[in-house]
Amino acid sequence: MSDVLDTLPPGAENISVGGFNLHAGPVWRLPADGEVRRFALAIAPKHMNGSGAVHGGLLMAFADISMSQTSRAVSGAKSCSTVALTCDFVGPAKLGEILEAHVRATKKTRTLVFLSAEIVCAGRPVMVATGLWKIGG
Amino acid sequence: MSAPPGYTQTHLVDPFEVHVGPIFEQGEKGARRFALRIAAQHVNMRGVIHGGMLMTFADAALGQAAWDACDHAPCVTLNMQSQFLAPAHEGDWLEVAPILTRRTRSLIFLRGDFTVDGATVYSVASVWKILGAD
Repeated sequence: MSDVLDTLPPGAENISVGGFNLHAGPVWRLPADGEVRRFALAIAPKHMNGSGAVHGGLLMAFADISMSQTSRAVSGAKSCSTVALTCDFVGPAKLGEILEAHVRATKKTRTLVFLSAEIVCAGRPVMVATGLWKIGG
Repeated sequence: MSAPPGYTQTHLVDPFEVHVGPIFEQGEKGARRFALRIAAQHVNMRGVIHGGMLMTFADAALGQAAWDACDHAPCVTLNMQSQFLAPAHEGDWLEVAPILTRRTRSLIFLRGDFTVDGATVYSVASVWKILGAD
């Protein structure tokens, strides 16, 4: 894991402790950039599809993990549930590259959080996602 | 894990699908039904299937259906809209029968309702691109 850490941006902290998060991850939390919360994932052989690109399911999982973490941070709740998530696949990423998720909170109500995210790889857009989380759901 | 009666294990190629599988299927090409037995590596700390796992299963199952719809031409996911309706738990048998909404020369529209014991827990609408068919 320490050699992976060397390839990640500074300040990365592992947030995958068990279950699917760890099986699919690990996902790393990076220092926030103002209002933008940042996460990273190092693309490993297990993350790929059969065509030499990162798998779409892994991209959606990375978006969900990053956005769910943000919904908890924004709401202060111990748990939040994904209600809806829309993902556009705009470009590929390859083995060994570092994905970054940049997540913004659009709106928080008493019971819901609206989020948007962009997943980028070496400055290229890979996915855009918008979604809705239920606080404490 | 062996397939339950009436199902065979789906032949998966993508390393990430192999990593999170296996998945199972029954029925003929173009009308296949897919299923997943929810296990410890699929759930969150509350024992509920992770949204990322649901979307990965959807991408795998609807991807198989897209492949059926374009006679095994390579195709990629362009867009996936997910609605998470109710929790599904470790041990549950999760099933989907993908529905081909429309196929054009270069695009495939697929949707699916994912059920546990007949109750819908997760719903998806998706758009796929047939590569090389501009």
